Amino acid sequence: MIMEKIAELFIILILVSVVLNVSSPFIKFAIKLYSFQSLMLAFYILMGAVHFNSINLYGSFAITIIFKVILIPYFLFKTLKKVKMDKEINMYIGIPEAVVFAGSLTLLSNLIAQKIIKTGITFGSFVFTISLATFLIGAMLMITRKTLFSQIIGFLTIDNAIFLAANSITHGMPLLVELGVLFDLFVSILILSLLILNLRRNVAS
Amino acid sequence: MHHKLLDLILILPAAALLFSIFTDVLWMSYLQLAVSVLVFLTVGAIAVSFNSITVFLGGFFFVDYINLVILITVSTLELFVAFYSFGYVRSEIAGGVSKRKFKFYYFWKNLFIFSMMVSILSNNLGIYWTGLEATTLATALLVSFNRTKESFEATWKYVIMCSVGIAIGLFAIVILYFTTSQVYGESMRSLSFINIMQAGAKLDKNFLMLSFILALVGFGTKVGFAPMHNWLPDAHSQGPSPVSALLSGVLLNTALLGILRFYQINGAAGIYYPKYFLICFGFLTIFVSAFSIIKQTDYKRLFAFSSMENMGIIALGFGIGGIAVIGSLLQIFFHALNKGLLFLSSGNVLAATHERRIDKIRNLSKNFPITGIVLLFGAMGISGMPPFAMFLGEIYIMTGVFRNDIWLGFLVFILLILVFIGLFGKVLKMYVGKANASDEEEDGELKTGSTGASHKTVIEAGLHPFIVYVPLIMLLFSSFLLFYIPYPFLHIIKSAAAEFGGRLIFK
Repeated sequence: MIMEKIAELFIILILVSVVLNVSSPFIKFAIKLYSFQSLMLAFYILMGAVHFNSINLYGSFAITIIFKVILIPYFLFKTLKKVKMDKEINMYIGIPEAVVFAGSLTLLSNLIAQKIIKTGITFGSFVFTISLATFLIGAMLMITRKTLFSQIIGFLTIDNAIFLAANSITHGMPLLVELGVLFDLFVSILILSLLILNLRRNVAS
Repeated sequence: MHHKLLDLILILPAAALLFSIFTDVLWMSYLQLAVSVLVFLTVGAIAVSFNSITVFLGGFFFVDYINLVILITVSTLELFVAFYSFGYVRSEIAGGVSKRKFKFYYFWKNLFIFSMMVSILSNNLGIYWTGLEATTLATALLVSFNRTKESFEATWKYVIMCSVGIAIGLFAIVILYFTTSQVYGESMRSLSFINIMQAGAKLDKNFLMLSFILALVGFGTKVGFAPMHNWLPDAHSQGPSPVSALLSGVLLNTALLGILRFYQINGAAGIYYPKYFLICFGFLTIFVSAFSIIKQTDYKRLFAFSSMENMGIIALGFGIGGIAVIGSLLQIFFHALNKGLLFLSSGNVLAATHERRIDKIRNLSKNFPITGIVLLFGAMGISGMPPFAMFLGEIYIMTGVFRNDIWLGFLVFILLILVFIGLFGKVLKMYVGKANASDEEEDGELKTGSTGASHKTVIEAGLHPFIVYVPLIMLLFSSFLLFYIPYPFLHIIKSAAAEFGGRLIFK
């Protein structure tokens, strides 16, 4: 029981970090938040691993820490340093509106999750709600912000949401698949960073 | 059939990938020829002796009739592209591009082919996903090969949109995994396609439906279905021409294979309404691309939109079912061939003139006698005109559509005529149009003073013979296939269609 409560705390912290991300224009802070969010995801997976005593989930915890908490934020910081950008200025809607919007998306995903439960299957509905909300808010970040970095953060948020969903309705994907997915994610971040640098250079010259 | 033969399909591109790191570019182009011919022969041997679903490499990979069709398509187009690349590399290096850059070209191209093979042959949906995302990443740096601002922007759009799309596809796989894990428990078996098909009706229908819709939207982004398509024309027009040919011809089909797998799973579980989603997306895609083709001013973008239109037709055919499925399967192969030759021959024009706009290219009949003819007849072929093979695929699909719903048939038919007018009209202008009038206007307006350059006649004699004649051979091959389709290939198509419930009426 107490373990479930702690796991729920981690999940709530994920949602809080995403909403904080919406409310702040600072990119460095956004990357830190992403790292924090991934750490919370990893802890949630760890709780599951301890509870079910599954080697699969321990492995999942380890690779989440390595890729999402350490490697990806590290390379994003490195790119950010080279690009010398600190603030998101190009937004289609202002921050207050975006926060209200994020709140309503959370409500919407709660409704959707309730509806799915009504069809007869019950699973970690709370976690599923949060993961759906994270997914939608990540998509909103991608749509409403123009800077390339914010789009990457939005993409990573969507990805975290899918991992959360995978860990809520099942006990995580098979380790081999998860490793492949994370490796692809990591390489795509490297390529996107490379593209940011090149686009920057082209604009400057 | 030998299992070693099947392993070879994955081993050969991997070997080429390793060679490309250590070998000099010009040597690599010979090696690439050898590898591509070997892959083609291996796939041919498999196709001839194939008789039932075969699992290999520890159950992670398998061959059935459907992925065999796509495998044949990939290996055939790859063969032509390897020969074209042989000439392309030489003419570009003669034109002043550094050798080091082309080393990367072969490296990324082989990585692309390898991950595409992994994705096509995978039995496990998780591995399919990994391979598909890897193709996006491998082609990213090929699309931005020219290192211009436009190409970097196109690559950005391509990577970010496809990655998000494929992430939604991952969501679909997660939900499918949840559904199947109630039958098989949580293990690799729950993701194995063959096992999922066997579970069939035991699976939860609501969740299967949900996973199909997510897969359609997610992988559909990479196929280029209509509302999610706007990365496609940019990415396909910016890369080097051989890469454009591979992207349009086979990568779109690889992504479509994912949707088809989910479609099959739904069919096995007895859910039949996904087909309306396929029809709807297919029609919308044809509609959007037909109007985009008409107002297009860039010829590589024109052909990119035409790929979109053909993917729409193929999806429509799979949705309609019956005889149209045979048309769609034929179309997958014929479209790859025909679109390949269009991109390759337009690449010749681009390489010699460095001009992308349709109204700047005139009088191809004089300056590019062979390439011009290939472009003209290729444009005819791609819109389904008789002396070329795509006529066959399109006639099957249209027959199916007309039988299903006559009004939908009329609408699609009108859209296809629009596409034909747009494509053929524009290419015809490039072929016979007179250059003088428009050039004088341009000079009068802009006063750039570079009149000498624009009046210089560019002839294809300076190009490497391979890049001139490979598209021509592809055109002849495409025409030949209309009159004679080898029996083993026809058998594979029929059997693949049977898995979707399609029937062949005659022969």
